Parts: sequence; structure tokens; C-alpha cells
Amino acid sequence: MKLAQRLVQLGILIAVLAAWYALTLPGRVNPILLPPPGPVFHDFGVLLTTRSIWPDLLVTIYEWVVAFAVGAAAGCIVGYLVSLTPYTVRVLDPLLAGFYSVPAILLFPLYLLFFGLGPASKIAIGMTIAFFPVALNTIAGLGLVNRGYVTAARSMGASELQLFSTVMLPAALPVVLTGFRLGGIIAFMTILGCEMISSLSGLGHRIVELGENMEPTQMFANIIFAVLLAVAINVGVSFAEARGQRWAR
Amino acid sequence: MGAVSAGNARLLVIAGLLVLWEIGARLFGDPLFICPPSAVVLALGPLFSDPKVVHAVAITVFEMVVAFAVAVGFGLTVGLAVGLQGFTKGAIMPVILLLYAIPQTTILPLFVLGFGIGPEAKIAFGVSQGIFPVIVSTVAGVANLPSSLVTAARSMGASRLQVLQTVVLPHMVPCFFTGMRLGMTAVLLGVLIAELYVSTAGLGYYTRHFAQSFSPPNLFALIAVLAAIAVTLNELCRIAERRFSRWHQA
Amino acid sequence: MIRIEGVGHAFGEAGNPRRVVALESTTFEVARGELLCLIGPSGCGKSTLLNVIGGLATPSTGRVTIDGQAVKGPSPQKVAFVFQDNTLFPWRTVIDNVKLGMVYQGVPKSEHDDRARESLQAVGLMEFADHYPAQLSGGMKQRAQLARALGLRTEILLMDEPFAALDEQTRMVLGEDLSVLLAKTGKTIVFVTHSLVEAVFLADRVAVLTARPGKIKTIINVDEGHPRKSDFMTSPKLGALRNELYELLHDEIRKTVR
Repeated sequence: MKLAQRLVQLGILIAVLAAWYALTLPGRVNPILLPPPGPVFHDFGVLLTTRSIWPDLLVTIYEWVVAFAVGAAAGCIVGYLVSLTPYTVRVLDPLLAGFYSVPAILLFPLYLLFFGLGPASKIAIGMTIAFFPVALNTIAGLGLVNRGYVTAARSMGASELQLFSTVMLPAALPVVLTGFRLGGIIAFMTILGCEMISSLSGLGHRIVELGENMEPTQMFANIIFAVLLAVAINVGVSFAEARGQRWAR
Repeated sequence: MGAVSAGNARLLVIAGLLVLWEIGARLFGDPLFICPPSAVVLALGPLFSDPKVVHAVAITVFEMVVAFAVAVGFGLTVGLAVGLQGFTKGAIMPVILLLYAIPQTTILPLFVLGFGIGPEAKIAFGVSQGIFPVIVSTVAGVANLPSSLVTAARSMGASRLQVLQTVVLPHMVPCFFTGMRLGMTAVLLGVLIAELYVSTAGLGYYTRHFAQSFSPPNLFALIAVLAAIAVTLNELCRIAERRFSRWHQA
Repeated sequence: MIRIEGVGHAFGEAGNPRRVVALESTTFEVARGELLCLIGPSGCGKSTLLNVIGGLATPSTGRVTIDGQAVKGPSPQKVAFVFQDNTLFPWRTVIDNVKLGMVYQGVPKSEHDDRARESLQAVGLMEFADHYPAQLSGGMKQRAQLARALGLRTEILLMDEPFAALDEQTRMVLGEDLSVLLAKTGKTIVFVTHSLVEAVFLADRVAVLTARPGKIKTIINVDEGHPRKSDFMTSPKLGALRNELYELLHDEIRKTVR
């Protein structure tokens, strides 16, 4: 049965490729809309071998890394502060969750207003988006820490730092790492999307620009690149999360 | 420390933040970029007396609702079709999960190229975001059905259709509503991103316009209204989810 | 009224090295109105036998007839099951659960309520009719499952270790109640259990199965009328029968636990 299922999946893949090819035969779909697969793959190959994509790629990665670093750090700190007393958790955790439920993308126009079209506005939105899952998961993770262990450690004279590193961190880490993963991935996607909405550089901007300049094959090739990049980041981040969780055990 | 109830404390925090914003904006804010909340409130009236603005917001809400309905409808159907049968589930689920993993913001320009700048593109994009959580949740809901329940129903003479109606569907409801809530969040995000992307009409036009003309009160006001709508829709889904999952918690 | 003729059941095809023969050619009868217990070591096929009798499994050899008619599939008009697991539907109230069986059976809607109330009355759960299964204790859940089975108004009840998940005290009480029910309704019951005392207390006859592949080793008679009183539980007669069962089963159990 497994084999039959694999065949079905393979069949779907082949059908999609075949449809793509068929639709782009002369006289069918407008090539501006859907360029034929051959030239797209060719352009993709060119992409990989030349350096043309590097400047934009570096901008996007830079925006993402900075946004995530700051947003996640802020999330950890705020999460830790909120977790200091059960009362603050009760009051502030739902508040944070409430803010999280507002689609953060709505803030982007504001950031455009404040920071202009450059990378700063993208970093700002990335930070905002990465902050919430990290903060919420930090609170949740620290909430898992067994009060009994804390009391025992304190009674043995542990300092706050020792308490944190030997009791709280290992207990909270797995959940916090999940928060990192969620924040990191959503931040990347959002930055990419915002580059498309309004930007001067970056991968998203490049894709949109190619579209506007009527270069469909290159646009598609870049889109494929962006998709693969996102998948790679997804896999990489999940892997890091799993590694970290195993270490914490 | 039970002096102030949690709920009231939250209100105090929000009030405190608003006060900080008000004072901060008045004292330090460059009026080209920042405005205090009072200015935002004052801007609401004139802003929404402009029928074109109202229209843009209304169209956005319309797109959200339609995209949600389609995503849920299709998602449920596909989820049931795929999840009920072991073979289809093993064959097609990996494909769906693969599609789910694709960052859809990268293909946003294609949606607009294909559907134009009207509501169709935004609805389509919203559907493509929202349909996957619904499918995944539906399949999960069907998958964890305990087989002993099906055996019991069969032993009492239930036909296949009756098993579907009286066992599978009710069991799956809590998971489905969770999927609906996640789907709503995804649809909202999708529609808003698409709207902001198209800067020649609709919401995207106004956000760009207000940003470029440095009129923060209007921009803030518009965003505040959209945020309120989004939160309301999300909250409605959450309430529905809680109500229909009552037996699940118990 | 139930005839089990040469029934055997195997999992897996002939020639498959992992084939498991659960049951080997069992033949016996269950008389109308009697309570027959099936007892035996783990894996001896008693649950399989019960499923075959009720039409939930097709035997590899032999057949089962009820009043002369061969059993080919679930026969909700004649046979009702009570399972060990909790199979009440958690999203329905107790009374709705009881009614659900009637829906499947095709009982006219107008009768549902009366029948359901009657069944719940019989098991003593009337007060909890509108509660959800999650709000009931283990013993109450099993009563509810019994009520559901009773609501089908079948002649035959097949019970697969229904009290196994309950504590001993609840088991005793439910056992006594079942005996009372049997006396009142005259149903035919086939009851699978692991408990020696339970078997003797409840049954008119106890069928002892051998270790896998299961066969009927012997059938013991318990000559005691229903409803069984609590003093039967402490009587020397029960003790003697229990000892007899123990002797019969001990070797079989040893065979399965190496």
C-alpha cells in the first residue's frame, strides 16, 4: 500500500509538471502569466551560479537575523519578567496573547511611516512578529518549572543566577525553543511579504520588480529560489530546535 | 496580592499604556510621524465619513468573510475526503503538508498577476492561506477517532452513512473548530497582506496615501479600525470553538 | 437457542508464518433464558468467540445459528453488545446515548423516549439521564452501556468483560443487579469474564476454554436460581464451584504464562 501511495504522489508531481508544460505551449496561457518550465529552470540555474541574487538575498537575511535577534531577546526578557510572580502572569499573559491575535501586518504601514522604505521598516515588523511567540512561550516554559525544585535549590543556597541556569532554564528551554522556531519562521515570511509590499531591496522586492518589469521567467526562477530558501530555513530552524531540546534533556 | 482582580489589572495596564502614549506623543512626538490617541479618536469621524474609505474597509471585510467561508467549506470537504480513508490519507496528506509548508507570501505577486487587483486576488490568497489549517485539523479529528466507538455503533446496526453522521462527524467537531479558528487567523493575515500589497486601490492605496502624506492620525485610525475588526472576527471563532468543544474538555 | 457449531477463527491466511489460530472448532449451545459464562486464560479466544456469536467477526470455520438462522453480520434486532471499553459517545448525554441504538435499529421515533427511560430506570440511572458520560463514574458508565443495550430490546445480550475495569466493590453490586435484571427479563446472556467468582456468581453454566488455540475444555453447571442473593456469594457451594474452576483453569493459565 505504501508503494501505491508513493506512486500516487509521484503521479501528482508528474501531472503538475505536465500541466505546466502543456499550458505554456504556444497559444495557450499568456506567457506573462505563466512562463514555460524550460526557461524557468534555465534561469534558476543561472541564478544559482551567478552572483546576481546576492545583494538582495543578503539584505533579506540581514533584516531577518537582526529582527529575530532583537525580537527574540526582547521576548525572552519580557517573558522572564512577566513570570516573576503568578499575579503578573495572570494579568499580562492574556494581554500579550490578545495583542498577538491582532494581525501584526497592520503595523507595517506605521513602520513605513516611521522608518521609510529601507530595511529598518522590515526589521521593525520582523522584531514585532518574532517578539510575541517567544514571549508567550517563555512564560509558558517558565510556568512549567516545578516550584518544588526552586524551593529545594533555594534552601541549598543557590543564587538567583544559579537557580536560573540549573533549574529554570533546562525546564523551560524546550518550550522556549519552540517559541524561537515559530517566531523565526513567521518573521522570515513576514519580512519577505513586506519587502513585496514596499521596499527598495531584498528578495521580496526583487521578485516584485521582476514581475513589474515583465520578466516572468526570472520572476518564477526567483520565486522558486525564495521557496527553497524558506523551506531550508524551516528545516534548519526545526533541526536547531530539536537539537536544543535534546540537549536540554 | 489579590488586591486588584486580574481583569481590572489588565484594564489598568491598557489604560496606563494609552496614557503613556498620549503624553509621549504630545511631548516628544514629531506630528509628521506620531500622534496621540486622542488625535486618532478625533480622526475617526472625518475619516469614515469619506465613502471611499468606508468602501475600502467594507470590501476588505467582505473579502475576509468570503475567503473564510470558502476556506472552511473546501477545507472540510477535502479534509473529510482525504482523512476518512487510509489510502487517500497516506497518499495525499504529504502533498498537502508540502503545499502548507510553502511560504505563500512568495507567490503573492502571482495571485495578483493572475486575478488582477480586484477582490478575487485577495479572496484567492486568503483562501490559500486559510485552507490548510482547516484540512490538517479535520484530518487529525478524523484520525483520532477511537475504533471502539465505531465497533459499538456497528454492533448496534449502524449503516456506514449513519456511522459517518453520528460518530465520525460529532467526534471531529472540536478539532474542526480549532482548525476554523486557525484558519480565520490565516485568512485575515492573507487578505490583509494582499490588500496592502495592491497599493493602487483599496486598503493598500489608503495606507500608502496616508503614509506618504504624513498624516498619522488617519493612518492610525484606519489601522485601529481594521485591528478591531480582526480581533472581533478572531474572538468570534474562539468563542465558537469553546462552545462546540465543551464535551471535549469535560 | 444459540447454536455454535464447529466455530474456529484464525487471524492471518493459511501459510502465513504469523498466523494465529485463536479458536479451534468449538461446539456448544446456549439455551433460551440462560446466562452462560465464557472463562479462560488470556488469548484463548473468548472475546473472538463472542464477536463471532454477535456477527462482528466471521468465523474461519463453522457457523453460528440463532433460532435456526445463520449469523452473517451484526444483528441488532436479536443481539446487543456491552463492551469493556467505554463506548458511550462523549458528545451525547446519557439518555441520547441510549436512544442512539434505537436510531440505528430503526425504532420509530415516538417510542424512543419511553424505551430509554425504561432502560435507565432498570439500571438505576434515571437521575443522570441528562448528564454527559465524562461526568459519570466507571460503574455508572457501564450501567449506561447496559441501558443502551437493554433499550434495543433484544433477546440476547453479549457482554465482553463489562466489569473488568471497575473496582471489586462496584463489580459485586453490578453483578447482583445484573442477576436481578436477568430474573425479570428472561434474556439470554453470554458473559465473558476473567473473574472466577464472578463467573460462578452470575452464570447458569460456565464454559471453560483452553489456552490458545481455544477449545471448550468443559462446561460446569451452577444449579442456582436467579435472582442470586448476596448470601450465595458467601455460600460453600460457590466456594466449591470456584475451586473446581480454579483446578480446571490453573494449568491452562500456566500454559499462557511461561
